Amino acid sequence: MTTATPLWEFVDISKAYPGVLANDKVRIKLLPGSIHGLLGENGCGKSTMIKTLSGVQQPDSGQILHNGQPVTISDPQVARDHGIATVFQEFSIVPTLSVGENIFLGNMPRSRFGVIDWAKVHSEAARVLAEMDVDVSPDAITGTLSVGEQQLVEIAKAVAMDARMIILDEPTAALGEDEIERLHQLLRNMRGRGTSILYVSHRLDEVERIVDEVTILRGGKVVRASGETEINVSEIVSAMVGEDIGEHYPKEQNATAEVVMEAHGLATASGVTDASFALHRGEVLGLGGVLGSGRTEIARALFGTDELSAGQLILNGKPVRFRREMDAIRAGLALVPENRKYDGLFFNFRASGNITAASLGGLSRLGVLNLKAEEQATHDLIRDLEISTQAEEKTVNFLSGGNQQKIVIARWLFSDSDILILDEPTQGIDIGAKIAVYKLINKLTRAGKSIILISSDHDELLAMSDRIAIVQHGAITRTVEASDLTHDDLVRASADTTETNLEEVFA
Amino acid sequence: MKRIFDTQLIGPFAAMVIVALIVALTTERFLNPGNLSNLSLQVSIVALIAIGSTMVIFTAGIDLSSGSMVALLTMILAQMLKFMGIPLMLALPMILIVGGLLGLFIGLITAYGRIPSFITTLAALIAFRGLALTFNNGSPIFSLDPALEPIFYGKLAGIPLPFFYLVFFYGLAAFVMNFTKLGREIYAVGGNPAAAVLTGINVRKVQTTTFVIAGFMTAVGAILMSARLNSGSPNYGQTLELQAIAAAVVGGASLAGGRGNILATLMGAMTIVIVQNGLNLNAAPSSVQNIVLGLIILLAVGIDMWRAEISALMGRIFGRSSSGSAQKVKKGV
Ligand SMILES: Nc1ncnc2c1ncn2[C@@H]1O[C@H](COP(=O)(O)OP(=O)(O)OP(=O)(O)O)[C@@H](O)[C@H]1O
Ligand SMILES: [Mg+2]
Repeated sequence: MTTATPLWEFVDISKAYPGVLANDKVRIKLLPGSIHGLLGENGCGKSTMIKTLSGVQQPDSGQILHNGQPVTISDPQVARDHGIATVFQEFSIVPTLSVGENIFLGNMPRSRFGVIDWAKVHSEAARVLAEMDVDVSPDAITGTLSVGEQQLVEIAKAVAMDARMIILDEPTAALGEDEIERLHQLLRNMRGRGTSILYVSHRLDEVERIVDEVTILRGGKVVRASGETEINVSEIVSAMVGEDIGEHYPKEQNATAEVVMEAHGLATASGVTDASFALHRGEVLGLGGVLGSGRTEIARALFGTDELSAGQLILNGKPVRFRREMDAIRAGLALVPENRKYDGLFFNFRASGNITAASLGGLSRLGVLNLKAEEQATHDLIRDLEISTQAEEKTVNFLSGGNQQKIVIARWLFSDSDILILDEPTQGIDIGAKIAVYKLINKLTRAGKSIILISSDHDELLAMSDRIAIVQHGAITRTVEASDLTHDDLVRASADTTETNLEEVFA
Repeated sequence: MKRIFDTQLIGPFAAMVIVALIVALTTERFLNPGNLSNLSLQVSIVALIAIGSTMVIFTAGIDLSSGSMVALLTMILAQMLKFMGIPLMLALPMILIVGGLLGLFIGLITAYGRIPSFITTLAALIAFRGLALTFNNGSPIFSLDPALEPIFYGKLAGIPLPFFYLVFFYGLAAFVMNFTKLGREIYAVGGNPAAAVLTGINVRKVQTTTFVIAGFMTAVGAILMSARLNSGSPNYGQTLELQAIAAAVVGGASLAGGRGNILATLMGAMTIVIVQNGLNLNAAPSSVQNIVLGLIILLAVGIDMWRAEISALMGRIFGRSSSGSAQKVKKGV
């Protein structure tokens, strides 16, 4: 293996953004038929490297060799011509177009007369989706799909190109265990066909399962090069962070007997069929289930986004009815949404504006904002959550994905809500930041706040929840103590009835 | 202070200064004290109206109604003063209230009726002009009140009063945008309406409020217009809405919402008026003036869109900033 000529070789690639040297003489060799992990903390320069490799931007210096020959990847089309397909961290799908149109965007199959061959678009898209074992219609409008399904469409785009090299920037951030397993199988098949794969992920367990070689970046520099590192989670972590990390899941038991919220038979038009549970003060209640099982929809129902068609919500012993999000927020609820890009961040604000957005009332007197207090709170949260200090100066669109996620969470830490719904809160953030989020969960529950946690990372869900409610087809089928459940139980429990017909769910 | 006078002001300010220099060098009479005080008179109406237009633009909306609303309000004011015998000191606040109410009406339909502001204000643009024609059989009303003119032509310490109105209202607007909850919410709604809803910001109320402000500022502009000509006319204010929007755009406000600085709008308005003034002094026909105005808008938006490319070009010409600055940012806090 080591003697094979690399398909691609990137030599001393450097790239600076105003104020940051995001890549500093990075070298990577990609062998054919190999899966290469590119790892590192948030903001270490992984996405920057990928943008350079796929022609989105030009390196300041360095050389790119394709089969030993120097090449310039001047734009994404050139990358495509060289057989490079990229799945970017931030989606590049068009939400208003169909799945088939998105898959072939930019190179639609055409008939003899130059007209788009729709039959072929449909059949080819269906073929790719079937190859990936994805159950989505090529005619579905992409924007109506769940985040996980959109992510799969994004991957299907790269698969459809039949590329010699595939770059995946955190492809599994929004996927559940099942989908991850399917994606891995697909990648193994491609590897068998001689494709080079460059793989970025913050889920180290999957890295261990699938990656052949790793390159680890820290602060834009390669700290461990290909072949140098054993693929072993704790070793990778210490190389990434530069120090040893102790316990991954520092769970505290803070649940009390007092019930703060009760749901009885909630149902909505968007797919919640029967959700009942009780949430205790200081408790973390996990929602477990597969992608599309209705966990996000339950969150929307609780938060007043979707109107209840049946059922009753009781808050501190009093029945409540939220007609819109504002009602829920006033009653002390908070939602950290799954899709930070569309629902979470204000890209025109720096960290401060984003962090205080949900607390402007408390931060102002007679409508005038206390900017000093805002600045101080932002500063403290940036320190506590270990967010890049650039966030104080720059608008959040310049931050790496993980830092953006931390800022959305920081917003609700700053607000004084009593019940926080966290929908995939650690999606796409590095191990250090994940532990920071877990510690925050502890801090919140210790202060008597309650948390509803939605996570596709089963280990995380099991470790951080006090109890877990199993969600299937929009219903909570049972609620169990997290400590009575193993990883396998959870996988089985949530997949149990996937055979029941789907029509029910969408009825 | 750092907050108000941020880097977003540099571009529009530079544009204004460059334009002023060019006009000053090519036109003798430009720097005459008489012409300069004339400038502040000329800019005042459009610049005051542009405060509201800009706030609407910050929320990612657009206000096309202000020109027609000026005509309507001057006719209502004229009606009150000339035919209804309402004293000036009562008529003026009433006009301000009517302006605010018209804005409220547009805002409610836009925000709660979920009709795009482009449509609601386009409808208002047409309808208000029609409404203005229903007064006095559609004829202008002249010689309203001798006490009206000084509002526009009066001076304090030798400085025209409209200068003080500009300072007052732009000071207030800058305060609102940078130091108040409302200002922050306006930027938030324009930046990401979906996120604003999820953070508990009352998006519709914020949108409506910007239209109320726009209506109020249009009323201020209408009063100055009436005072300037001591009359009301259904023909006043033609294309004023476009000039106000142009001022915002030349000042760098993004039509996509969420970005821009309210003080830059004043500079945008100044830039436009200086160009018009220069062309006037050189006896350019109005056809040329319109063409030039169109080009300025294009150039301003172009510079904004190509900012990254331009700064890259500058970097190449003047040498790259060293990567050592990376360390500085990290240590800065
Ligand atoms: N367009 C940009 N302008 C300025 N700075 C940027 C830009 N894009 C990224 N950066 C900065 O460059 C550095 C590297 O960012 P990058 O997105 O490559 O990180 P990453 O390793 O992909 O992190 P994550 O795991 O969070 O996705 C960060 O400090 C980031 O703030
Ligand atoms: Mg990234």
